[in-house]
Amino acid sequence: MNILVLIKQVPDPEALVEIAASGKDLNIEPKFVINLFDEFALEEALRIREKHGGNVKAISLGGTKAIEALRTAIAMGADEAMLIEDESFAGSDGYNTALALSRAVQKETFDIILCGRQAIDADRGEVPQMVAQFLGLPHVGVVVKLDVDDGKAVVESVLEGTKEVIEVTLPAIFTAQKGLNEPRVPLITGVMKAMKVQIPKVPVEDLGLTKEMGGPDGSKTRIERYLPRKKRPAVQFIEGEPRQAAAEIVRILADVERVI
Amino acid sequence: MDKVLVFVETKGDEPRKASMEVLCEAARLAESGRFSMEAVCLGAVSDVLKNRLLSCTHKLVRLTDPELAAYSPEGYAHAVAGHARQIGAGMIMAGATGVGRDFLPRTAVILETGIVSDVTAANWFDDPITFVRPMFGGKVFAEVACPASPVVVTVRPNSFAMDMPEGINGEYVEVAVGLQAGSIHTRLLRVDDTRKDAVDITEADLIVAGGRGLKAAENFKVIEDLAVVIGATVGATRSVVDAKWRDQADQIGKSGKTVSPKLYIGAGISGAIHHIMGMDSSKVIVAVNRDPNAIIFNYANYGIVGDLFEVLPAMTEEFKRHKERV
Amino acid sequence: MDFAFTEEQQFFKKIITDTVDRMVVPKAREIDEKDEFPWELWKDFTKLGYLGLRYPEEIGGMNADPVTAMIFYEQIARGSVGFAQSVIMNILMGTYFVYRFGSEEIKKRCLYPAMKGEKVTTMCFTEDQSGSDLSATRTTAVKDGNEWVINGTKMWITNGPVADFATVLATTDLSLGAKGLNFFLVEKGTPGFAPGQIIDKLGCRGTITGELVFDNVRIPEENLMGAELNKGVEYLGEILDEVRVMTAAMAMGIAQAAYNEGLEYARKRIAFGKTIGNYQLIRAKFADMATEMEASRLLIYSAAWKIKEKLPSRLEAAMAKMFATETCLKVVDEVTRIWGANGFANEYNPQRHFRDARFLLYGGGTHEILKDFMGRILIGKS
Repeated sequence: MNILVLIKQVPDPEALVEIAASGKDLNIEPKFVINLFDEFALEEALRIREKHGGNVKAISLGGTKAIEALRTAIAMGADEAMLIEDESFAGSDGYNTALALSRAVQKETFDIILCGRQAIDADRGEVPQMVAQFLGLPHVGVVVKLDVDDGKAVVESVLEGTKEVIEVTLPAIFTAQKGLNEPRVPLITGVMKAMKVQIPKVPVEDLGLTKEMGGPDGSKTRIERYLPRKKRPAVQFIEGEPRQAAAEIVRILADVERVI
Repeated sequence: MDKVLVFVETKGDEPRKASMEVLCEAARLAESGRFSMEAVCLGAVSDVLKNRLLSCTHKLVRLTDPELAAYSPEGYAHAVAGHARQIGAGMIMAGATGVGRDFLPRTAVILETGIVSDVTAANWFDDPITFVRPMFGGKVFAEVACPASPVVVTVRPNSFAMDMPEGINGEYVEVAVGLQAGSIHTRLLRVDDTRKDAVDITEADLIVAGGRGLKAAENFKVIEDLAVVIGATVGATRSVVDAKWRDQADQIGKSGKTVSPKLYIGAGISGAIHHIMGMDSSKVIVAVNRDPNAIIFNYANYGIVGDLFEVLPAMTEEFKRHKERV
Repeated sequence: MDFAFTEEQQFFKKIITDTVDRMVVPKAREIDEKDEFPWELWKDFTKLGYLGLRYPEEIGGMNADPVTAMIFYEQIARGSVGFAQSVIMNILMGTYFVYRFGSEEIKKRCLYPAMKGEKVTTMCFTEDQSGSDLSATRTTAVKDGNEWVINGTKMWITNGPVADFATVLATTDLSLGAKGLNFFLVEKGTPGFAPGQIIDKLGCRGTITGELVFDNVRIPEENLMGAELNKGVEYLGEILDEVRVMTAAMAMGIAQAAYNEGLEYARKRIAFGKTIGNYQLIRAKFADMATEMEASRLLIYSAAWKIKEKLPSRLEAAMAKMFATETCLKVVDEVTRIWGANGFANEYNPQRHFRDARFLLYGGGTHEILKDFMGRILIGKS
């Protein structure tokens, strides 16, 4: 069973994120982690390999620093890793990210591709499905259980909250949701292997792409500017008798805040 | 004039609420003359459903194919992309539901275009049109333009108002898609409807929490009743957990769990810093307390000064009534 | 001149930081409150293999250089000093002499299991009336045929009451002072070897620290941990600098944990309508703390680098130990002030850091002794 895991290095969830004065960039505290959902994907790949044998390869698209995320994958137990090294593609939209990843994946032999259901920085949740479409492969999203057997997989997906059991023929792409597993803490033997390993870096040109395609002009969508989160305004007291106040707060929560 | 194609998701006789919101927004846009509109759906359509939808859209197209009997990302992606291409849609819009977010990225790839996922607002009259979407879990928002055409957009539920348009009586058409046999590689085996366990408090979208003001363990019933009605998870302050009124697992705060739900309702909670450090990143905070000077009001969006044993049951009743209305 | 960690060291730092965050941080409070050896965490953590940090790969270690080791010591102490103290004892002081001088049989019995966490170890030199003043050691080792007979009582022994084996400092000749000292291996179960009183400590709880009693303990000749007799102090010198810089790194671990608590509080606590991080006096505290922590780390990592390069480091190691520990004391103090009265509440973490920090004052030499020692080097004998 050959398994590819697409992982993304993202800012630490605790990292400070501030909008640059221009409004067109973000200043992000330089603390990075593997995207949470990608860790579930990686762990699942390792478990499938432990059960069925085979090879786990982690692939990431990013700048040089993303090597660290791939090293972490090796430390956890991935057999190999590869970085598609390109800053402009790494900051690109979902379409171009998926395009670059699918080009890289095309050169591999695999039965399964695992990814996180979404990256916790851009929060797009688009790329795995787009990779699947570029490759003409089926995908199952938001997976909490994955059983692989003889050219097919039986999967539990919680796309809409309820659990759906889906059968899919391999090769296929799966996006991991929290609950799929509990990712392991790397052993020192893995850490040592990861510290020494040479991780191949592939420029996008090797995938038949140009740097310009990853830039803002080559993207299908483009971020025009960033907006801050609204600050919590001063408390608004709801007056009146309990019943009136209750009616008013329900109205506000439903129609103004729209959280109900 | 650009054409907006709205993907409508249905369940039995009902359209999904998120779909209706998008449909209403599209109808408003059509009225403004900025776009023309058309809706597309893929499941079975009863007369009730049909009539309901036709009062919101100038045209409703049902795409039919034996392969579309059940949802599959491949089937839906191809069907919607094919139809969009056929009618020359300039925009495809759908609710950012699980299904919408699952298959529309594939549609975008088929149409060689971009997708803007999970938007919370749109600047329709800007040139180019921009969509606002949260990033970093809502820490910042981005205004996104899509130079490519058609633009595919999924809209987060509760983003657009569901004001029903008036005077629309659209036409209904069925179109056979003709998907290739064997083009769908996923098969739904069964839906596991066993009741979900209560959502863990760190992942809950809605939380109702109680503090010392509840006065006794059994009084948490007013908190639980409200939580059940809105589908929230119950939380508690440390002092309540220390008093063994609630389990340790419910504790929100510095030595408990850190939560950031969409809605946090706190009753009988003074707002000790311990508790505040565990919940102040909640999106909307509602506090109910007898004491108008309670510190929790410094961190709340909305405050109700009053007896929680009167206010909470009243809120429970109102939420029930609200649910019946929707 | 290059101040940067290598890519490998940066990666190691990230992994150990994550590992500590996931495994140790959530347990820290409980470890402190229970003040019992955290066996469950010990088993889970030592399974990962970090106890072989400093030893060669051929025997299952990681062969980490001193700089990398400091990264580890700092992070594990950030998680829980009580736990870190036990872990580091197995990594460094408790196993060093066995690694250096033990026969293959002894290594199989003691070192390799200790590197896997299957055995808990300790090193003991402190006594009731001797600590920094090693020449006052009163524990004796007397040769009797092909055995050594150990007599004496050791105090303040980290892991002592739970240790499976101990490296014990004893004199073969009381009249020789520091020149009569040697290390001996004593294993649990040897008749006459027993734990005594357990010390109830202010901080660093969860590490079991106490007395070890040696009453006519007979051990084989090969348990002398030294190539030559009476060279114990010289052998101790081989790791003394690392032990001091390690203590400094642990101080930075505590300081960082406290600093992070302070940061969170400053960003959330509201006073006079603003979060307190908006006030200049609070901001000044962070500027001072961050500056002194940075200075401490420069001392720590440059001293570690000197040890790695086998350059003279005795002075620098002492400086790092003293400066980082004093900085840590300032930081934990400032953080309890930032937390106001809450800094005094047992419910929150700052008080734990405040207590833990003081433990590092004594290990690796009190600052009074260290200053005297440094002054002597700097001025020279006159």
